[in-house]
Amino acid sequence: MTTTAPGFAEAAVRERARSGTAALFPRLDDYGSALYGATAPAGDDLDRLRIAPPNFTDLRLEKLIDLGREPLYSDVELATEIGGFRSSLPVYLSAVGSTRAADTELIRQASRQAGAAGIPMVIGENVIGMSGYGRLDGLTGRSIVDRITAYRGELPDCLGGVTVQQNTEDADAELWNLVYSDPTALPLLESGRLAFELKIGQGAKPGLGGMTLVDRQTADRVGDVYHIEQLGSADQLLRSSTPGTFTAEILRQQIRLMRNNFPRALVWVKLIPGRDVAAAAEVAWAAGADAVTVDGAEGGTGWAPLAFLEHVGLPLADCLRLVDSRQRCLLASGRMWEGSRALKALALGARAVGLGRAALLSVDENPETGLRNLLACLATELRLLISAVGKYGPSQLSVEDLWTNQPTEGVPAPPATVGSSHG
Amino acid sequence: MTATMLTGPDTQSPSIETRQHLQSPRTRSVLRIQQRLLAGAREYLVERGFAEMLPPMIGPVTDPGTRGSKQVDIDFYGHRYKLMTSAILYKQASLLAFDKIFCIVPCVRLEPLETASTSRHLAEFHQIDVEWAGASRDEVTALIQGLVQRMVAKVIAELPTEFDQLGRDVSVLTDLVAGTFGQRSHAQAVADLVALGHPQNPDGEIEWSGEALLSAHSRTPFFIVDYPKGSRGFYDRESTTSPGVLRNFDLIASDGYGELCSGGEREHDYARIVTRMRETGENPAKYGWYLELARQGIPASAGFGIGVERLTRFVAGLDAAWQASAFPKLPGVVSP
Repeated sequence: MTTTAPGFAEAAVRERARSGTAALFPRLDDYGSALYGATAPAGDDLDRLRIAPPNFTDLRLEKLIDLGREPLYSDVELATEIGGFRSSLPVYLSAVGSTRAADTELIRQASRQAGAAGIPMVIGENVIGMSGYGRLDGLTGRSIVDRITAYRGELPDCLGGVTVQQNTEDADAELWNLVYSDPTALPLLESGRLAFELKIGQGAKPGLGGMTLVDRQTADRVGDVYHIEQLGSADQLLRSSTPGTFTAEILRQQIRLMRNNFPRALVWVKLIPGRDVAAAAEVAWAAGADAVTVDGAEGGTGWAPLAFLEHVGLPLADCLRLVDSRQRCLLASGRMWEGSRALKALALGARAVGLGRAALLSVDENPETGLRNLLACLATELRLLISAVGKYGPSQLSVEDLWTNQPTEGVPAPPATVGSSHG
Repeated sequence: MTATMLTGPDTQSPSIETRQHLQSPRTRSVLRIQQRLLAGAREYLVERGFAEMLPPMIGPVTDPGTRGSKQVDIDFYGHRYKLMTSAILYKQASLLAFDKIFCIVPCVRLEPLETASTSRHLAEFHQIDVEWAGASRDEVTALIQGLVQRMVAKVIAELPTEFDQLGRDVSVLTDLVAGTFGQRSHAQAVADLVALGHPQNPDGEIEWSGEALLSAHSRTPFFIVDYPKGSRGFYDRESTTSPGVLRNFDLIASDGYGELCSGGEREHDYARIVTRMRETGENPAKYGWYLELARQGIPASAGFGIGVERLTRFVAGLDAAWQASAFPKLPGVVSP
């Protein structure tokens, strides 16, 4: 089966996965013969922001003094603390939804390469239901134990970490309890590289609960806990649940209970791109969350009603503008794959960005090194771009590095702190 | 501590030879003490009108309020059932039959691997569980003090040779029988730990190491009351006058032995139970039978569970709780 991603920059991702950092540049044999300029901007508000280097670069002078030589883009230090983990890049491997692509050997390859690259990996709450845990139910090649084992195999010391999602509606799977007492995860726990992420909504379908297609036998078994609806043929039944965190007090107490029950694990919280995303993030941080993740409405890999894919949820740029992350760890995902979009998210307050579809496409194109190549591109591109704005680390980025001349009607206006030709 | 090892090179990873363990004079002394403690508990509770119930071992749902431990699933004719992590749900339901009940009940919790070295966690253990309709926290803590004092007085009086065999100095126990159990709030316990240089999350359960530290600094057992919401299961009742504070308690043994017992007043109002379930990350749909009873009305109550192996360890002065079990199961250790 070939993985495809209609509407996504599939060809460009595949090119990077094939060619590595060579794909960052125009075709080498065109050098000297072709003229290059801007292409028509497509995509969302985040894509339409421009990166705005200044003429005066105080931090570059500081870097020159520090180094005693001219600072280069290669001097940009990308190592970043992500939700309590140390990562080689401001990048993590996102959980991917219940797509068939996520349920193949490819996800194990992606896990292995994320580990080798020293970036954190998030395991989706759906994995145990679809691929099993990997203990008495046996190793499937795609189970949680398989993924953790693959990830740990080439993981450098002191880098990376595994984050395991669970949502309230599926709490009876007891995934966190299982992982916390599992020998496979013990080395991660003992080295401070295990986190649990409370998922309070669905990235691909904000406002809805989890949706899974199940067969008749499964539907009969779980019908007293989940809503079951027949879609088309009698063999295809839709299993739905409801997002489980209704109030600020419930979110606060759920986080406290996680900290109480799993004192050696870090706590992440994944929010939906909702209109109250800023308030929800504040509650999460105040209750002790080590990271808050926001999927823009552009994000998500899971199965969802078409209307939700096109029309529901705040765009990522608006989520980032609304949430005041300050020194706290805000993580962003949604259509991430290359350096400029990642830099824009970082400049708007994110600590790191998550790769979902891009990671899957990259290992689909090149199972052995596709994700490593994609990450190498992203790292080099980030170094080029960060140095271009006169800075030498992701934490130095801010909204001053962005520019917009296209305010979008009908959505919250960009704050005045984002540079604008409209003053 | 005065006890010595029963078997194995150390208490961290005992290599328990079942035959050697069962035939050891020390194991026999420990188990005799445990048997007499249980006899004392039955006498005391029956005298006060408590009915002994035989609780279920399996059910569609069990106590979720068990810090980080995994429940054991079993296949019940195609339905996922659980081995009981505690009897709490059935204890509350039993009050529909009798106002005062108790049971001596096995509990199974797949505890985190790190707890194998705490000296006081077992994956399988037993509790003396009590539930009392209409009781307040003060009434059940008074009951616990009387109960523990009776149990301990009985074993001291009736089994002096077993204590001699174990080399246990019973002066600590005679002080316990004659004294009064103290009480401090969770907030005070946090402050005490901080003063001792031990970091402690003010929103959470007192960590195992912290409990041991407080215990080591006390010569008599004491209660910690008023735990914060977020540290316990949905059934511990939230104060109506101090939101965020639970009407619950732990009993901490003296001399470093740590927690012996947990309990509290219970949530019994249907809407409160459902809300608290959500705050503790639980799906109410799982608790169908229990919530249906609550919707129709279950009595207000208070109750507790005393860890039998932990109490035995304390009374007998043992290094580790597993020594108080004939067939111990330490977290993560494959054993009969």
